[in-house]
Amino acid sequence: MSNPDPSKMKQDCPEKNECLKMLQLILDGEATSEQKDHFLKNHLEECMPCYKNYHLEVAIRQLLKTKCCQDAPQELVDDIKTKVINNLAR
Amino acid sequence: MELEENSPKQNYTEAEKQTIFHGEFMPHINSMYNFAYRLTLDADDAKDLLQDTYLKAYRFIESFQKGTNAKAWLFRILKNSFINDYRKKSKEPSKVDYQEVESYYNSEEVDRQITPDLRVEALKDMIGDEISNALNALDVDFRTVIILCDLEGFKYEEMAKILDIPIGTVRSRLHRARNLLKEKLSEYAKQMGYKTA
Repeated sequence: MSNPDPSKMKQDCPEKNECLKMLQLILDGEATSEQKDHFLKNHLEECMPCYKNYHLEVAIRQLLKTKCCQDAPQELVDDIKTKVINNLAR
Repeated sequence: MELEENSPKQNYTEAEKQTIFHGEFMPHINSMYNFAYRLTLDADDAKDLLQDTYLKAYRFIESFQKGTNAKAWLFRILKNSFINDYRKKSKEPSKVDYQEVESYYNSEEVDRQITPDLRVEALKDMIGDEISNALNALDVDFRTVIILCDLEGFKYEEMAKILDIPIGTVRSRLHRARNLLKEKLSEYAKQMGYKTA
Protein backbone atom coordinates (compact mmCIF):
# COMPACT_ATOMS: atom_id res chain seq x y z
CA MET A 1 0.00 0.00 0.00
CA SER A 2 1.36 3.42 -0.92
CA ASN A 3 1.13 6.50 1.22
CA PRO A 4 -2.06 8.24 0.21
CA ASP A 5 -2.44 12.00 0.33
CA PRO A 6 -4.54 12.76 3.43
CA SER A 7 -5.99 15.95 1.96
CA LYS A 8 -7.64 13.98 -0.81
CA MET A 9 -9.15 11.38 1.49
CA LYS A 10 -12.69 11.12 2.79
CA GLN A 11 -12.78 12.06 6.46
CA ASP A 12 -15.86 10.05 7.20
CA CYS A 13 -16.96 6.56 6.23
CA PRO A 14 -20.66 5.70 6.23
CA GLU A 15 -19.79 2.00 6.19
CA LYS A 16 -17.15 2.17 8.88
CA ASN A 17 -18.32 -0.82 10.84
CA GLU A 18 -18.86 -3.02 7.79
CA CYS A 19 -15.45 -1.93 6.56
CA LEU A 20 -13.87 -2.90 9.85
CA LYS A 21 -15.37 -6.37 9.53
CA MET A 22 -13.96 -6.65 6.01
CA LEU A 23 -10.60 -5.41 7.20
CA GLN A 24 -10.47 -8.09 9.86
CA LEU A 25 -11.47 -10.74 7.35
CA ILE A 26 -8.60 -9.63 5.13
CA LEU A 27 -6.04 -9.53 7.94
CA ASP A 28 -7.21 -12.93 9.17
CA GLY A 29 -6.54 -14.32 5.71
CA GLU A 30 -10.20 -15.23 5.24
CA ALA A 31 -11.19 -12.82 2.47
CA THR A 32 -11.38 -13.75 -1.21
CA SER A 33 -8.84 -12.12 -3.51
CA GLU A 34 -11.58 -9.98 -5.09
CA GLN A 35 -12.65 -8.68 -1.68
CA LYS A 36 -9.06 -8.00 -0.83
CA ASP A 37 -8.27 -6.21 -4.07
CA HIS A 38 -11.35 -4.10 -3.95
CA PHE A 39 -10.89 -3.04 -0.39
CA LEU A 40 -7.16 -2.51 -0.25
CA LYS A 41 -6.79 -0.92 -3.67
CA ASN A 42 -9.98 1.07 -3.97
CA HIS A 43 -11.36 1.87 -0.60
CA LEU A 44 -8.47 2.17 1.79
CA GLU A 45 -6.51 4.72 -0.18
CA GLU A 46 -9.36 7.18 -0.23
CA CYS A 47 -10.95 6.71 3.19
CA MET A 48 -9.19 8.16 6.22
CA PRO A 49 -11.13 6.36 9.01
CA CYS A 50 -10.59 2.97 7.36
CA TYR A 51 -6.98 3.76 6.58
CA LYS A 52 -6.44 4.54 10.27
CA ASN A 53 -8.32 1.43 11.30
CA TYR A 54 -6.14 -0.69 9.09
CA HIS A 55 -2.96 0.51 10.77
CA LEU A 56 -4.51 0.16 14.19
CA GLU A 57 -5.54 -3.43 13.53
CA VAL A 58 -2.06 -4.27 12.29
CA ALA A 59 -0.42 -2.59 15.28
CA ILE A 60 -2.63 -4.43 17.78
CA ARG A 61 -1.83 -7.77 16.20
CA GLN A 62 1.88 -7.03 16.36
CA LEU A 63 1.64 -5.93 19.96
CA LEU A 64 -0.28 -9.07 20.89
CA LYS A 65 2.33 -11.27 19.25
CA THR A 66 5.27 -9.58 20.92
CA LYS A 67 3.73 -9.16 24.37
CA CYS A 68 1.37 -12.04 24.96
CA CYS A 69 3.36 -15.16 24.14
CA GLN A 70 5.12 -17.00 26.92
CA ASP A 71 7.17 -20.13 26.53
CA ALA A 72 6.59 -23.13 28.73
CA PRO A 73 9.09 -23.47 31.59
CA GLN A 74 11.78 -25.96 30.57
CA GLU A 75 11.33 -28.11 33.69
CA LEU A 76 7.67 -28.53 32.85
CA VAL A 77 8.54 -29.63 29.32
CA ASP A 78 11.06 -32.13 30.69
CA ASP A 79 8.57 -33.34 33.24
CA ILE A 80 5.94 -34.02 30.62
CA LYS A 81 8.43 -35.88 28.45
CA THR A 82 9.53 -38.02 31.39
CA LYS A 83 5.95 -38.85 32.35
CA VAL A 84 5.13 -39.95 28.84
CA ILE A 85 8.31 -42.01 28.52
CA ASN A 86 7.45 -43.76 31.79
CA ASN A 87 4.02 -44.35 30.37
CA LEU A 88 5.57 -45.87 27.27
CA ALA A 89 7.75 -48.16 29.33
CA ARG A 90 4.84 -49.67 31.17
CA MET B 1 -16.76 -36.67 23.31
CA GLU B 2 -13.76 -34.48 23.41
CA LEU B 3 -11.67 -36.36 20.93
CA GLU B 4 -12.56 -36.77 17.30
CA GLU B 5 -15.39 -39.17 17.87
CA ASN B 6 -15.90 -40.01 14.21
CA SER B 7 -12.30 -40.44 13.18
CA PRO B 8 -11.32 -44.07 12.76
CA LYS B 9 -9.06 -45.44 15.44
CA GLN B 10 -5.49 -45.84 14.26
CA ASN B 11 -3.20 -48.70 15.04
CA TYR B 12 0.20 -47.39 15.94
CA THR B 13 3.23 -49.32 17.11
CA GLU B 14 4.99 -48.05 20.24
CA ALA B 15 7.70 -46.57 18.03
CA GLU B 16 5.14 -44.75 15.91
CA LYS B 17 3.47 -43.39 19.01
CA GLN B 18 6.77 -41.99 20.18
CA THR B 19 7.48 -40.46 16.81
CA ILE B 20 4.08 -38.78 16.75
CA PHE B 21 4.33 -37.60 20.31
CA HIS B 22 7.78 -36.11 19.98
CA GLY B 23 7.55 -35.08 16.35
CA GLU B 24 4.00 -33.73 16.16
CA PHE B 25 2.80 -32.96 19.68
CA MET B 26 5.84 -31.62 21.51
CA PRO B 27 6.66 -28.88 18.97
CA HIS B 28 3.44 -27.11 20.02
CA ILE B 29 4.22 -27.11 23.72
CA ASN B 30 5.00 -23.40 23.98
CA SER B 31 1.82 -22.37 22.22
CA MET B 32 -0.11 -24.83 24.35
CA TYR B 33 1.42 -23.51 27.55
CA ASN B 34 0.57 -19.97 26.57
CA PHE B 35 -3.01 -20.99 25.85
CA ALA B 36 -3.26 -22.78 29.19
CA TYR B 37 -1.82 -19.81 31.00
CA ARG B 38 -4.10 -17.31 29.29
CA LEU B 39 -7.14 -19.45 30.07
CA THR B 40 -6.41 -20.14 33.72
CA LEU B 41 -4.47 -16.93 34.46
CA ASP B 42 -2.50 -18.90 37.01
CA ALA B 43 0.94 -20.44 36.54
CA ASP B 44 0.22 -23.54 38.66
CA ASP B 45 -3.12 -24.25 37.02
CA ALA B 46 -1.52 -23.72 33.62
CA LYS B 47 1.12 -26.33 34.47
CA ASP B 48 -1.46 -28.87 35.58
CA LEU B 49 -3.69 -28.20 32.61
CA LEU B 50 -0.82 -28.56 30.18
CA GLN B 51 0.37 -31.75 31.78
CA ASP B 52 -3.12 -33.26 31.84
CA THR B 53 -3.61 -32.35 28.23
CA TYR B 54 -0.38 -33.92 27.04
CA LEU B 55 -0.96 -37.09 29.01
CA LYS B 56 -4.48 -37.25 27.61
CA ALA B 57 -3.18 -36.66 24.10
CA TYR B 58 -0.79 -39.53 24.55
CA ARG B 59 -3.44 -41.80 26.01
CA PHE B 60 -5.77 -41.11 23.08
CA ILE B 61 -3.06 -40.98 20.46
CA GLU B 62 -4.85 -43.56 18.35
CA SER B 63 -7.68 -41.10 17.76
CA PHE B 64 -5.16 -38.83 16.11
CA GLN B 65 -4.70 -39.36 12.42
CA LYS B 66 -1.17 -38.84 11.19
CA GLY B 67 -0.94 -35.99 8.72
CA THR B 68 -3.90 -34.10 10.15
CA ASN B 69 -3.58 -30.87 12.10
CA ALA B 70 -1.94 -31.87 15.38
CA LYS B 71 -1.98 -28.35 16.76
CA ALA B 72 -5.74 -27.95 16.32
CA TRP B 73 -6.29 -31.42 17.78
CA LEU B 74 -4.22 -30.56 20.87
CA PHE B 75 -5.82 -27.16 21.34
CA ARG B 76 -9.24 -28.78 21.29
CA ILE B 77 -8.28 -31.23 24.02
CA LEU B 78 -6.82 -28.44 26.11
CA LYS B 79 -9.85 -26.24 25.74
CA ASN B 80 -12.20 -29.11 26.67
CA SER B 81 -10.10 -30.04 29.68
CA PHE B 82 -10.20 -26.44 30.77
CA ILE B 83 -13.97 -26.29 30.54
CA ASN B 84 -14.46 -29.62 32.29
CA ASP B 85 -11.85 -29.43 35.00
CA TYR B 86 -10.80 -25.86 35.58
CA ARG B 87 -13.53 -23.49 34.68
CA LYS B 88 -15.68 -24.62 37.58
CA LYS B 89 -12.99 -24.27 40.19
CA SER B 90 -11.46 -21.24 38.58
CA LYS B 91 -10.63 -18.34 40.83
CA GLU B 92 -12.38 -15.95 38.55
CA PRO B 93 -15.60 -14.59 39.97
CA SER B 94 -18.55 -16.31 38.42
CA LYS B 95 -19.26 -14.72 35.13
CA VAL B 96 -22.49 -13.44 33.76
CA ASP B 97 -24.26 -15.90 31.58
CA TYR B 98 -22.30 -16.06 28.39
CA GLN B 99 -25.29 -16.12 26.08
CA GLU B 100 -26.40 -12.88 27.61
CA VAL B 101 -23.05 -11.29 27.06
CA GLU B 102 -22.91 -12.47 23.51
CA SER B 103 -26.37 -11.32 22.54
CA TYR B 104 -25.64 -7.98 24.14
CA TYR B 105 -22.48 -7.53 22.19
CA ASN B 106 -24.07 -8.80 19.05
CA SER B 107 -26.65 -6.08 18.97
CA GLU B 108 -25.99 -3.39 16.40
CA GLU B 109 -26.61 -0.82 19.12
CA VAL B 110 -23.36 -1.64 20.76
CA ASP B 111 -21.47 -1.40 17.51
CA ARG B 112 -22.45 2.20 17.22
CA GLN B 113 -21.51 2.93 20.81
CA ILE B 114 -18.18 1.21 20.67
CA THR B 115 -16.00 3.35 18.51
CA PRO B 116 -12.72 2.86 20.27
CA ASP B 117 -10.77 5.95 19.43
CA LEU B 118 -7.39 4.53 19.78
CA ARG B 119 -4.34 5.67 17.93
CA VAL B 120 -1.34 3.80 16.71
CA GLU B 121 0.97 6.26 18.49
CA ALA B 122 -0.60 5.34 21.83
CA LEU B 123 -0.05 1.65 21.13
CA LYS B 124 3.60 2.26 20.37
CA ASP B 125 4.04 3.55 23.91
CA MET B 126 2.50 0.48 25.46
CA ILE B 127 5.77 -1.19 26.15
CA GLY B 128 4.76 -2.79 29.44
CA ASP B 129 2.00 -5.21 30.34
CA GLU B 130 -0.87 -3.09 29.05
CA ILE B 131 -1.84 -5.32 26.16
CA SER B 132 -1.39 -8.46 28.20
CA ASN B 133 -3.56 -7.09 30.99
CA ALA B 134 -6.16 -5.91 28.51
CA LEU B 135 -6.32 -9.37 26.97
CA ASN B 136 -6.52 -11.08 30.36
CA ALA B 137 -9.33 -8.77 31.43
CA LEU B 138 -11.61 -9.99 28.65
CA ASP B 139 -14.23 -12.61 29.37
CA VAL B 140 -12.64 -16.01 28.73
CA ASP B 141 -14.67 -16.72 25.57
CA PHE B 142 -13.60 -13.46 23.99
CA ARG B 143 -10.04 -13.96 25.17
CA THR B 144 -9.97 -17.40 23.62
CA VAL B 145 -10.84 -16.32 20.07
CA ILE B 146 -8.17 -13.63 20.11
CA ILE B 147 -5.56 -16.12 21.29
CA LEU B 148 -6.52 -18.67 18.66
CA CYS B 149 -6.67 -16.19 15.81
CA ASP B 150 -4.18 -13.44 16.52
CA LEU B 151 -1.57 -15.29 18.53
CA GLU B 152 -1.79 -18.75 17.02
CA GLY B 153 -2.97 -17.98 13.51
CA PHE B 154 -5.75 -20.57 13.34
CA LYS B 155 -8.20 -20.25 10.46
CA TYR B 156 -11.87 -19.63 11.24
CA GLU B 157 -12.71 -23.18 10.22
CA GLU B 158 -10.14 -24.63 12.60
CA MET B 159 -11.37 -22.38 15.38
CA ALA B 160 -14.93 -23.54 14.78
CA LYS B 161 -13.76 -27.14 15.29
CA ILE B 162 -11.66 -26.37 18.33
CA LEU B 163 -14.49 -24.47 20.01
CA ASP B 164 -17.44 -26.50 18.67
CA ILE B 165 -19.22 -23.42 17.40
CA PRO B 166 -20.35 -22.38 13.89
CA ILE B 167 -18.00 -20.31 11.73
CA GLY B 168 -20.42 -17.38 11.80
CA THR B 169 -20.14 -17.30 15.58
CA VAL B 170 -16.36 -17.40 15.36
CA ARG B 171 -16.43 -14.37 13.10
CA SER B 172 -18.84 -12.31 15.17
CA ARG B 173 -17.22 -13.29 18.47
CA LEU B 174 -13.85 -12.22 17.13
CA HIS B 175 -15.23 -8.90 16.00
CA ARG B 176 -16.74 -8.25 19.45
CA ALA B 177 -13.61 -9.42 21.19
CA ARG B 178 -11.47 -7.01 19.22
CA ASN B 179 -13.79 -4.13 19.95
CA LEU B 180 -13.65 -4.94 23.64
CA LEU B 181 -9.87 -5.20 23.54
CA LYS B 182 -9.65 -1.81 21.86
CA GLU B 183 -11.94 -0.37 24.49
CA LYS B 184 -9.60 -1.56 27.23
CA LEU B 185 -6.59 -0.29 25.35
CA SER B 186 -8.12 3.13 24.90
CA GLU B 187 -8.73 3.28 28.64
CA TYR B 188 -5.02 2.70 29.14
CA ALA B 189 -4.22 5.25 26.46
CA LYS B 190 -6.30 7.81 28.31
CA GLN B 191 -4.50 7.03 31.55
CA MET B 192 -1.23 7.51 29.72
CA GLY B 193 -2.34 10.98 28.77
CA TYR B 194 -3.35 10.37 25.19
CA LYS B 195 -6.36 12.28 24.09
CA THR B 196 -8.69 10.16 22.06
CA ALA B 197 -8.89 11.23 18.47
